Amino acid sequence: MKGWLPLAGIGLLAGLAGVSLWLADRHATPPAIEAGPVDASPAAIQSAPFRDGQGAPRSLGQFAGKVLVVNFWATWCTPCREEMPGFVKLQSRWQDRGVQFVGIAQDDPAKVAAFGRELGVNYPLWLGEEGVMDLSRRLGNRLGVLPHTVLLDGQGRVIESRIGVFAEPVLESRLAAITGK
Amino acid sequence: MKRIPPLLAACVAAAAFAAPASPDEPLDPDKAFVPTARLVASAPAAAGAGERHGIDVEYRIEPGYYLYRNRLKFELHPAEILTGPPEVPAGIEVDDPFLGKSAIFRDRVTIHIPFAVSIARPGHYRVRIVAQGCAEDRICYSPFVQEVAVNIPPGYRVMDFPATPAPPAAPKGFPR
Repeated sequence: MKGWLPLAGIGLLAGLAGVSLWLADRHATPPAIEAGPVDASPAAIQSAPFRDGQGAPRSLGQFAGKVLVVNFWATWCTPCREEMPGFVKLQSRWQDRGVQFVGIAQDDPAKVAAFGRELGVNYPLWLGEEGVMDLSRRLGNRLGVLPHTVLLDGQGRVIESRIGVFAEPVLESRLAAITGK
Repeated sequence: MKRIPPLLAACVAAAAFAAPASPDEPLDPDKAFVPTARLVASAPAAAGAGERHGIDVEYRIEPGYYLYRNRLKFELHPAEILTGPPEVPAGIEVDDPFLGKSAIFRDRVTIHIPFAVSIARPGHYRVRIVAQGCAEDRICYSPFVQEVAVNIPPGYRVMDFPATPAPPAAPKGFPR
């Protein structure tokens, strides 16, 4: 018997284990999608115009000083809706630690309001016009897809841009790292 | 110095490459949802009915992706030859917990855009499509525009074109 055969067996087992782990992880959390470059100044981000559910003008600048989790979503986007219960929990847990979530949709205001009520969303759900997806793209959404979530520091600077679902535990660990809390 | 046996090298390589080197990238919508168009004519559906002419737009949808039925929009340019709205199959019925009942398309779907042969002048016709869809469990594409085209040749006649196949029965399923 050749001496390298047991080593080959170990290597094969390690390979199979690696593949199994990767497949299991892939099933649990979709793989990350690399974001594109950011092409928006903090001032432009903080002054981008939105409207709240009552039609009043809003902008992210009103939350200056807080770490913002800005989530671009839509009611027709199933993955968007599936990640939002996690955002609701995180908003509750992190609201006293200087973290504010904001949802932004280019959508039917009535549907946005109905979904917010149904899910018990505890953070502002704002509406945007045609420029919403353009802003999302300038914040790193190079694919122009939903959901897209951007983490901003208290001065409106982009800390992280994530295309696709932001799983609750992953986002929570990012918030802990960013705030040091 | 001993050489590493090929089988051992292969196993070590398998372990090293067990995790992907780069993230799993969703397809561009033009690759996930591929429309093609062709001229069609079919026999009368019933006695006394006229022959059906039109453009069949066939979507080939990649596995793991789906299109929303009620968000598909078609415009024919120029539109003078149109005889009715696009004939869109029922699709796969889904019961969305928030949006209620709707339908999606997976794999393949053919939409028939009818026109009147009596007024179909030879020429180049464009079908502008606005579509929305998703990659299962991952992302959804905001409305995207696609375009397909057909040429109606001079001397267009019914027998020059293949019959339209009957659409398959609509299966049931849920998007995840």
